[in-house]
Amino acid sequence: MGLSDYIIMRELNFPDINRFERYCQVGGWEAYRTAVKEQTPATIVQMVKEAGLRGRGGAGFPTGIKWSFLPKDVFPRYLLCNCDESEPGTFNNHQIIDRNPHQLIEGVALSAYAIECHTAYIYMRGEFAAAALTLEQAIDEAYRAGLLGKNILGTGYDLDIYVHRGAGAYICGEETALMESLEGKIGQPRLKPPFPAVAGLYGKPTIINNVETLANVPRIVEKGVAWYRSHGTEKSPGTKCFSLSGHVNRPGNYELPFGVPLRELIESPEYGGGMKGSRPIKIIIPGGASAPWLTAKHLDVPLDYEGVAAAGSMLGSGAVIVLNDTVKAPHVAYKMDEFFKHESCGKCTPCREGTHWLVKVLHRLAEEGHAEPDDIPTLHGIYRQMAGNCFCLLGESAVMPIKSALELFPEEFEAIIKASNERHQRNGAHAIPLRVS
Amino acid sequence: MADVTITVNGVTFRVPAGTNVVDAARIGGISIPVFCYHPRMKPVGMCRMCLVQVGTPRLDPATRQPMLGEDGRPVIAMMPKLQTGCTTPVSEGMVINTESDEVQFAQKGVLEFLLTSHPLDCPVCDKGGECPLQNLTMAWGPGNSRFDYNDKVHFEKPVHLGDLILLDRERCILCARCVRFQDELADDPVLGFDNRGRNWMIISKSDPPFDSKFSGNTTDICPVGALTSADFRFKARVWELSSKPVVCTLCPVGCNLSLDMRYDQLMRVMPRENGAVNDIWICDKGRFGHRFIEHESRLTTPLIRKGGHLVEASWDEALALVAEKLAAVQSSRGGSAIAGLASPRLSNEDLYLFQKLFREYFGSHNLDHMPGSAADVDYDEHGALMGVGKGTNLMEMGAESLVLVIGADPEEEAPLYVLRLRAMLERGAKLVVANMRPTKLDRSATTRLYYQPGSELAFVRGLLRAVFDRVGHERLHLKHSGLEQLRKTLSDLSVEQAAELCGVPAETIRAVAQALLEAKQGLIMYGAEARSAGAGMSESLGVLAALTGKVGKPGSGLIALLPGGNSRGALDMGVRPDARPGYAVLSQRGLGAREVWPALREGRVKAVWIAGLDPAAQLPAARAALEAADFVVVQELFLTATAKLADVVLPAASVAEREGTYTNAERRVQRSRQARQAHGEARPDWQIIQGVAQHLSELSVPVAVPTQRVEESSQPVGGKGKSKGPGKTTAVTVAEPSTWDYLTPSEIAAEIAERVPGYAGITYSALAATGQGGDWGRQTNEAIFYDGTNYENSEGIGIQLPNLIEGQKTAVSLGLRPLSKPAHERSLLLVSQSLAYDGDLLLRGSLLERQIPQPYVALSQTDADKLNIKPGDTVRLDSAAGELTLSARVVDDVPAGVALIPANLPNFSAAAVQTGPRTRVNLVKVVTG
Repeated sequence: MGLSDYIIMRELNFPDINRFERYCQVGGWEAYRTAVKEQTPATIVQMVKEAGLRGRGGAGFPTGIKWSFLPKDVFPRYLLCNCDESEPGTFNNHQIIDRNPHQLIEGVALSAYAIECHTAYIYMRGEFAAAALTLEQAIDEAYRAGLLGKNILGTGYDLDIYVHRGAGAYICGEETALMESLEGKIGQPRLKPPFPAVAGLYGKPTIINNVETLANVPRIVEKGVAWYRSHGTEKSPGTKCFSLSGHVNRPGNYELPFGVPLRELIESPEYGGGMKGSRPIKIIIPGGASAPWLTAKHLDVPLDYEGVAAAGSMLGSGAVIVLNDTVKAPHVAYKMDEFFKHESCGKCTPCREGTHWLVKVLHRLAEEGHAEPDDIPTLHGIYRQMAGNCFCLLGESAVMPIKSALELFPEEFEAIIKASNERHQRNGAHAIPLRVS
Repeated sequence: MADVTITVNGVTFRVPAGTNVVDAARIGGISIPVFCYHPRMKPVGMCRMCLVQVGTPRLDPATRQPMLGEDGRPVIAMMPKLQTGCTTPVSEGMVINTESDEVQFAQKGVLEFLLTSHPLDCPVCDKGGECPLQNLTMAWGPGNSRFDYNDKVHFEKPVHLGDLILLDRERCILCARCVRFQDELADDPVLGFDNRGRNWMIISKSDPPFDSKFSGNTTDICPVGALTSADFRFKARVWELSSKPVVCTLCPVGCNLSLDMRYDQLMRVMPRENGAVNDIWICDKGRFGHRFIEHESRLTTPLIRKGGHLVEASWDEALALVAEKLAAVQSSRGGSAIAGLASPRLSNEDLYLFQKLFREYFGSHNLDHMPGSAADVDYDEHGALMGVGKGTNLMEMGAESLVLVIGADPEEEAPLYVLRLRAMLERGAKLVVANMRPTKLDRSATTRLYYQPGSELAFVRGLLRAVFDRVGHERLHLKHSGLEQLRKTLSDLSVEQAAELCGVPAETIRAVAQALLEAKQGLIMYGAEARSAGAGMSESLGVLAALTGKVGKPGSGLIALLPGGNSRGALDMGVRPDARPGYAVLSQRGLGAREVWPALREGRVKAVWIAGLDPAAQLPAARAALEAADFVVVQELFLTATAKLADVVLPAASVAEREGTYTNAERRVQRSRQARQAHGEARPDWQIIQGVAQHLSELSVPVAVPTQRVEESSQPVGGKGKSKGPGKTTAVTVAEPSTWDYLTPSEIAAEIAERVPGYAGITYSALAATGQGGDWGRQTNEAIFYDGTNYENSEGIGIQLPNLIEGQKTAVSLGLRPLSKPAHERSLLLVSQSLAYDGDLLLRGSLLERQIPQPYVALSQTDADKLNIKPGDTVRLDSAAGELTLSARVVDDVPAGVALIPANLPNFSAAAVQTGPRTRVNLVKVVTG
């Protein structure tokens, strides 16, 4: 039941939509032209609200509501497009920019118009050098067509869009750290409140939206609320570009309406095409590395915000990682927490020290097979000391892999401890354990 | 703000609204542990140590009133996650739990986390014993760690953040207090962070590294031993130290210090809390600049010149010789052939006795506290006459107050004022900085102005005219004379004309005048560069304060930044040729230092006694004069260039070796205690002076001044009105000459309290009074909880003198000197810049010595281009007085038309070219080869 008219991945309908002329031919920039000429910003905000568009960056917060948090009459305001896409398993933003860049630019421009701002920044993950170039070219084309710049289409509306490349830090995808980085400071989260909508970039009201979120806006304005809501579910309208990876036959980005069961994404020949070598599914991580793990028994969970939450995880960025029975849970937890340790900014104690300590224990246990008898309570203790106590969500995210692994697969930890213990005893109780550090 | 009621651990009490949970709990006597939070800085919520449970009353959505439960009490909605207390403001009805299992688990957890990376090297750590990490671990931490000791992170250490401060990365818990102190309080944003995660580290971003005059404070507020000072590192354990309360004499702020001694040795200098002076901060000069006390070159015995050499002598011998020689001069040539110069770093007691000896025994008014250079500025009267009103405390000033800083660079002249003024700004005060060149304070200023070099008087006249235009007809709330004359003087110069002269737009001048008028409290701070414009400057500023109603009440008046730690005391005590103690003008003035040198050469003055000044080092004229003098006595810490020319050298005790009182720029008298035994045979200056007096009386030298009232004007010098006469009495009653048998300085202080106007009631016991309330409010020393470091002040906070205008006893003269138009026969204005790290003898032996610059002349790019001068070129300055050769610097923050030289560098003197406080020079490149 694939889409016939894609909302985001329209290159599947129009393969050369990445060309400016082609994008315009198929109705591109029309929504924006109409909006700036004929519609008030409030109209656009109202449409986005009614369409029920939810943030695709991970939290799923209703976009129109977020926009309405801006204090009245405080200017300038800023719109930031978050393209720091760094969550392990997430790779749809990159593809949107590569294949359908103009829709993103139009989305940024429309949203900027809607929130009455005249400067928008697209914050790119540092590694996306080619994508940044693509976007800059697309922006140039829009300027040349008079769609950006001063006095756009003779309406008196001004808008400039800038592309800014970060220096390669996961934390800069966190909205306040992104603003710090954009301001030229070290990329670390800010204290909230004040929230960005009140005091964000340069202390001014700021809206931050994900690439995929903003790419939805032109389609909502162009085709209307009813059309948009005909996709997805009541509470999660529209479609989602799922980034499917892991031990599936056909990993990749697939745009599906919200509410499609996990099983369909993984097994349908149109999408995942089933597991490689038909091995059984062991771990499903439905929303990027920060999401709690699911297992094969959750295959019927509908892929929408509510459905995945009800199953005890979160839809997050829609990065679905599927792992088969060849992986060991402690090892997966180790690899994921190694990522979080590497990306921890260091600002708060639980995240900085907790990830460091977790990785020390997990490395010893999962990589070296050397375990201490009380490693399981220690690991539980470490993540519990982190959970809920960190400055931002990075530290909280780092809790998920180890917590899931310990809850779902305790026997694998126990087995390592047992084996290690036996080796100890063979070596003699007082032998100095062999350690590689 | 209104109070709100909160409940912490079941105890309900009221706290001011807006307080954060950590401070609020402490009001109720409940401690919440913190690391990154510091009460002097904005909370950041980084360390997560202060996690607590917080709940607020659930509100009825319709009525916005708290919903009541079945027991009739508000239903409390607890927040789902623990909250950081430092970043959570209290609200009405808030319920806080700091002791629940969840909170304890989180507190133990954060401490366990912090200790995983910490090296636990307490036995060799300087912070050990006063370390918040130790303290909080004992009180809130887990008893053990599950962390494998072998997994500890190791870094290369120490890292030199600068010359003075070293970083131990392993000990650092990354609380960012140091970085935030530099950013928020010191406004020297020279520290920052590099890298991330466990490799996150503090770095210095400036060149030279850690370029700040307040760097030492970071070691105090560091909650672990990560930051240590090169001055104290590995010197002593803190529990071996005993804290001796002294007052810093290195600048006019008068910071309260604690000299931390191990037996008789100075280990380190720490701040003592004084909300009215320095809060819990001190500058690096105060902290690191006290090594002179123990310097090996200190004088230990009296020296007497015999056969052309200075040889050791006994005190008796030396004092007898001084008395005999001076008595001989007096009997042969009269007292006016004797002159005395005393340093403004000496205590009030020393200065009082010095002038008393001269006036009573020799009948000589040849007294001064300046070295007698052409660059000496006039005696500052208005700082006392209209100096800050009694009860002024910068720490209590904020919104609705304004500070006008003019012709001053507080960072160099009185560093701690930077922190004090910034704290005022933080509380909402306005800061107007007007200078001829940019200074660091500009960054903080709400308004910054640059007047044309040398045009500050025109600028102030412009301000005066703008104020007068608005209020000229209103009655001044203080006694005054010369309003008519003022009207006439001011009518000569319109605001526009003043604007034209000083280069500041007329509307800006009017705006500043308006702001000063509107501010409820207003201070005018002026420094060396303003004072070098002549006496007209402080006079004009005094009139400005008077016209704007910023006189004679708390939070208002003038603050003069004078050189040395006790210039105000020297002026109050009458160590000057033209006035007795209390600014009582003499009808017949003696010779000031500048006149003493030619008088010595010409034989009109035969003998000179110099206490704590070193004119020979700077002034060729002084050197020549001293060589020509019949008899020279020098009492000093070191064998200075001046001492080397002396006939008798008397070793003086340093500030650490004696008691005394000092009067700071805000006219606060503070008491300093003895911290160590005398160095060698050195004696306090007052004892030396008394010793000479006693020998004089043994020689039966008659007291020169009769005991009846001396013929003198009772009018303070500042008041130039016509009214004279004994009725308006601020005059000194000269009582019976004392017997010169003071046992302790407190007896001298008692005499000062009796005889010097304004000092009434300032006795040692009053100064040392602590306890609640009044002027002596006990300092909280609360920072010990946050910093582990004890800032306890057991000595009181000093007593502020009333200014002379208070009580309407004295009239202020509004008469202004006419504005003289300077002749510009030479192209550049030579400006001497006072530096904090200069040739001050007291920096001897400190780590700051290497920060004293080499002599240079700094020029603007414009002038350098015009004169074809490149940085590093040798240039020759010539003035009406002479020539001087220097190395040139070309810098951004010197305006065109100015040649900036550092004042008072070792082995450098600009006396050759100086014609006065202001000198016009021409400058040419010296072509060599």
